[in-house]
Amino acid sequence: MIEPDPSSTFGNAPGLVPDGDSSSAETTGRYVVVFAEGDNAPSAVLESAGLSNVADSRDFRGREVDVSETSGADATVFGTLGIAVVSAEPEQIGALQTSHEAQGAVLSVSPELVHHVLQQAPSDYLRGYRDAVEDLDTRLNGGNGRAGGTATAAAPTVPIFQDTAQFTWGLQAVQANSSSWSGRGIKVAVLDTGFDSTHPDFAGRAISTRSFIQGESPQDGHGHGTHCIGTSCGPKAPSTGPRYGVAWEAEIFAGKVLSNAGSGSDAGILAGIDWALTNGCAIISMSLGANVPQVHPPYVAAGKRALDRGTLIIAAAGNNARRLQGNVGFVGTPANSPYIMAVGALDHQLDVTFFSARSLAVRGGQVDVAGPGWQVYSSWLMPARYRSISGTSMATPHAAGVAALWAQATGFRGRELWSALVQESDRLTAPSVDVGSGLVIAPQ
Amino acid sequence: MVNISVTVDQTHLSAIGDVAEALRARGMQVEQVLESGFITGSVPDDRRSALTAVDGVQSVDEQLDYQLPPPEEDIQ
Repeated sequence: MIEPDPSSTFGNAPGLVPDGDSSSAETTGRYVVVFAEGDNAPSAVLESAGLSNVADSRDFRGREVDVSETSGADATVFGTLGIAVVSAEPEQIGALQTSHEAQGAVLSVSPELVHHVLQQAPSDYLRGYRDAVEDLDTRLNGGNGRAGGTATAAAPTVPIFQDTAQFTWGLQAVQANSSSWSGRGIKVAVLDTGFDSTHPDFAGRAISTRSFIQGESPQDGHGHGTHCIGTSCGPKAPSTGPRYGVAWEAEIFAGKVLSNAGSGSDAGILAGIDWALTNGCAIISMSLGANVPQVHPPYVAAGKRALDRGTLIIAAAGNNARRLQGNVGFVGTPANSPYIMAVGALDHQLDVTFFSARSLAVRGGQVDVAGPGWQVYSSWLMPARYRSISGTSMATPHAAGVAALWAQATGFRGRELWSALVQESDRLTAPSVDVGSGLVIAPQ
Repeated sequence: MVNISVTVDQTHLSAIGDVAEALRARGMQVEQVLESGFITGSVPDDRRSALTAVDGVQSVDEQLDYQLPPPEEDIQ
């Protein structure tokens, strides 16, 4: 009889904590105490709880801690980590959790767990069985593995995320609707077709505009730019309808590098990047690309120099896939630069959209993260005011807005900001060549 | 004529004006000199290769064009 692997955490929706019974975990009887970074010496805090026989790893300077030398101690402090392993009576543990001296100095007290060498991987037979079940699930339930693995999960017959009266599905998916951050104090440049400055949803916002298209004002004559600015930086409370913007207090820099007819070239885009750098923008969002399967040298230099100055450039992976016809496409320029973050597009079920380009097999050519890019509702040219469209162009400003929230929440810029976005993204069951490290998620 | 972007190497960023002068002297029509290290403009086809020899030039690349779909398209 073959049982499903109870230790598997696959099959859980992103963001959900897998069901696990930690009470059955094997423990040593000792406790692991994590100290806050600060002035209080861990040994003093331990002594206040009645633990006087403390060994300090720093006494073993330059060599490993010898357990035989510390086995008689009540506690071993790892000073560099700010962590101690403690043998203590229940009342002493209680004091570490509640006493006045421990208040603020102790972050957590947890039972020390026994760890074992990980179980052997399933045999080929089991692996084959599992793959077959997952494949069947994908065919019958539309995939992403969420219905797989357990008997209790129902087949997803409706989209997982939906637009509501309050929020677009994209804001819900990236958890911007519940974030306590707004992008305040963060400058976000959107290099696109400009901005419709008559749009009522942006009245009173700090917006700098500049045109790099000869003979055209910064006013958006296409709609694409206004849509992307809406997603990345649109208001918390629009004049009507659901909220659609992520970083609602970010300072907007709208650079027009694509004409009213939607066309542009490197000269305007590089000028726009230069303008954003000069103005100290933390994030540059570029929902544009050319279907060129090579890295374009100017964007290697531009991306690297931007990161060196603390600016993260985020670009659309591209819409050149036709997955229903078996064509997965490729990440074009500028998103295929090693120093520019490439964003793929997801649908309501967090599946890869049929048009979203796959990683290009060169250094830097990968999709780095993914965002909502299917039927995205946002601002459009007046008098239409709003419109829903799809594309990696729409996924990109979701990522840029989320990046602005992380920039505000952490103070991180450039490479550190890149790292935070990747580290905090929700992993998906879709291939990494299509979604990178997964769905960008806002800080809460 | 071909539209080009010249990437100036890191060590010549502070002297980008001199690099632009040298490019002009070799036949480039300079349109923009960007502080972050790019010089854009155009050059006759047969003179393009001469530009790569200019001191401080990291690369000379033909400008790419970008084109969005028309506004009424559903996939952008």
